[in-house]
Amino acid sequence: MELRDLQSAATSHRGDRVFTRTVAGAAFTSLLVLAGIAIFLGLQAVPAFQTQGWAFLTTTGWDINTTPPTVGIFGMLYGSVLLAVIGLVIAIPASLLLAIFMVFLSPPRLAKVLTNLIDLMAAIPSVILGLWAFYILNPTAEEWQVLLNKYLGWIPIFENTSGNFLGTPFIAGFVLAIMMIPIITAVTREVLSRTPPDLINASEALGCSLWTMLRYVALPYGRGGIVGGVMLGLGRALGETIAVFFVLKIVFETNWDKIIESGGGSVATLIVSRFGEVSGPLELQLLLAAGFFLFVMTLIVNVIANLIVSRTGRLQK
Amino acid sequence: MSTTTFNPATSVQLEQQKSMRPWRKKPTKFTMAVTLAVVIPALIVAALYLTSDIPVPILLVVIYLPLQLIASGIAAWATKGTRGVADSVIIVNAIGASLFTVIVLVSVIGSLIVRGFRALSPHFLFQNSVYISPSTPLDYGGIGHSLVGTLLIVFIASLISVPIGIATAVYITEVRGRAVPYVRFFVQAMSGVPSVVAGLFILTIVVATGVFNQSAFAGGLAYAILMLPTVARTAEEVLKLVPDDLRTGALALGSTRARTVLRVVIPAARTGIITAVILGVARVIGETAPLLLAAGNNDQTVVNPFGSPISSVPTYIFNNVALPYPDAVSRAWGAALVLIILVAILFTLARVIGRGRVGR
Repeated sequence: MELRDLQSAATSHRGDRVFTRTVAGAAFTSLLVLAGIAIFLGLQAVPAFQTQGWAFLTTTGWDINTTPPTVGIFGMLYGSVLLAVIGLVIAIPASLLLAIFMVFLSPPRLAKVLTNLIDLMAAIPSVILGLWAFYILNPTAEEWQVLLNKYLGWIPIFENTSGNFLGTPFIAGFVLAIMMIPIITAVTREVLSRTPPDLINASEALGCSLWTMLRYVALPYGRGGIVGGVMLGLGRALGETIAVFFVLKIVFETNWDKIIESGGGSVATLIVSRFGEVSGPLELQLLLAAGFFLFVMTLIVNVIANLIVSRTGRLQK
Repeated sequence: MSTTTFNPATSVQLEQQKSMRPWRKKPTKFTMAVTLAVVIPALIVAALYLTSDIPVPILLVVIYLPLQLIASGIAAWATKGTRGVADSVIIVNAIGASLFTVIVLVSVIGSLIVRGFRALSPHFLFQNSVYISPSTPLDYGGIGHSLVGTLLIVFIASLISVPIGIATAVYITEVRGRAVPYVRFFVQAMSGVPSVVAGLFILTIVVATGVFNQSAFAGGLAYAILMLPTVARTAEEVLKLVPDDLRTGALALGSTRARTVLRVVIPAARTGIITAVILGVARVIGETAPLLLAAGNNDQTVVNPFGSPISSVPTYIFNNVALPYPDAVSRAWGAALVLIILVAILFTLARVIGRGRVGR
């Protein structure tokens, strides 16, 4: 409060008012950009909606040559979610266990090394991850999927009738998992390491084993942060473009459940894959409309994630 | 960072517990159980690997992991009773997850070094691709034009996003207006904008309206959107570390608020702000999708930021990845190696500078 008083006492110069206003103006750039994206992409989405109606969101297909073009991105929206879910199924247990290992099990020095490695992993550009996935992961993952199909093929999701195991949602989801692991791990490690040592010591004194301590102390304590971290990872996964583009064979069908069958899609990859051979302003508009829905989807996920993370942050203080 | 707050505490405590109970027998039984639990499953699986032709993934997931779980479970049960079994399951899985992550990372970095090294040479860094077709051998051509493009685009993005980012941070920490929670909220929301959407946005407002071509400037604008939240949030953290004494001191000496911020607070946080900028650059330098849309592609070296499409390292990789020529693919790996080295240098710089004075 003292600083406040001093500041208000000092604010009598005209230069200060200019300064404050300039800074405040700059501070709202982020709002301006967000609004700009929503308005400009939204405006482009209007004509797409006029020609397509709700079919743009509820059907699947990309045929520009008919008049009016029959275009729907439902399969892509579904694909985005499917890939993200596959990624989460792999990334959540891996990240949680990794964070538990770093905070509660490993020697401090090893934990430091692991922290740096995770930071490094988060810094790998997605184009490099895509390159790696295309040449290194693909053959390995193909082998895994053949085995999955051979022994678990009777479960519908592991069905594969074409015999083609490349360009599958499974591989793309695996790449997304690799991108999400550093994000989720970083947040989880942070909240777990903030569990008050007193609580942990108390639980140990009461005879808790590691498992009971995690189950009743550490995980409930960090639950909000963990959920928020997962949502942040989800936001990243929904918007990821290039790495998925390299490993996924994009098809305009809704592949409901066959995760190791070649072919799938996501809104972000749709944009990049069609942009190179865009046929005219109409198709560009349709892509922009797809981008608008991608923006809305990721914005919702991110806002929820940030609300959760910031609320736990406040509780813990 | 803050793992250290917990770990030393317990490890110190454990040591104290040990020394405080000298009458307790040394747990040779425990050591033996753990050793056996580690060695036996490994031996069984190694034997199976050598004698049978079970595929490796099945060997690891269906045989080794359950075996290891059972062995550790028995060891835990023998030494600590039933309570230990759940612990052993967690420990085995946690070590497994850590190994998995490290293996993935080593595979990515290792393959970059092994496959990218072949393409690296002085001319790879300096020449452009004007007379280069995908089948040209590696003796000619390089990513010089892409490096120039990336530097130019990143420079433009920094010119735009750094002042705005710092101003945003100043608003949050120095002006402390009523809108601070909202500004924070919008900055966080902005950090979630997918890179491809940033590219589309610039495409609609700059390129499609005909103001500029696909160019370094348009690419820089798209990068600026992605960079701004990182710069703003890191700068905010850094400015918060500047002690209030400096502010009150400057104000008490009769300095205006603007002068306090510009002459005292920001210089005091100088190194931290440099870190913020470097982290922002490192965040965007590998983004591909926005440049595909907003900056385009070019085989020539372009230095004019407005006129023509421009190449960059990520788009260079993108264009060479799936070509059916080994040398083109080698170029992609080489460019990827250069890119990851750039990112690593930026992060190391940020760490080293961030360790400076204001960090504490």
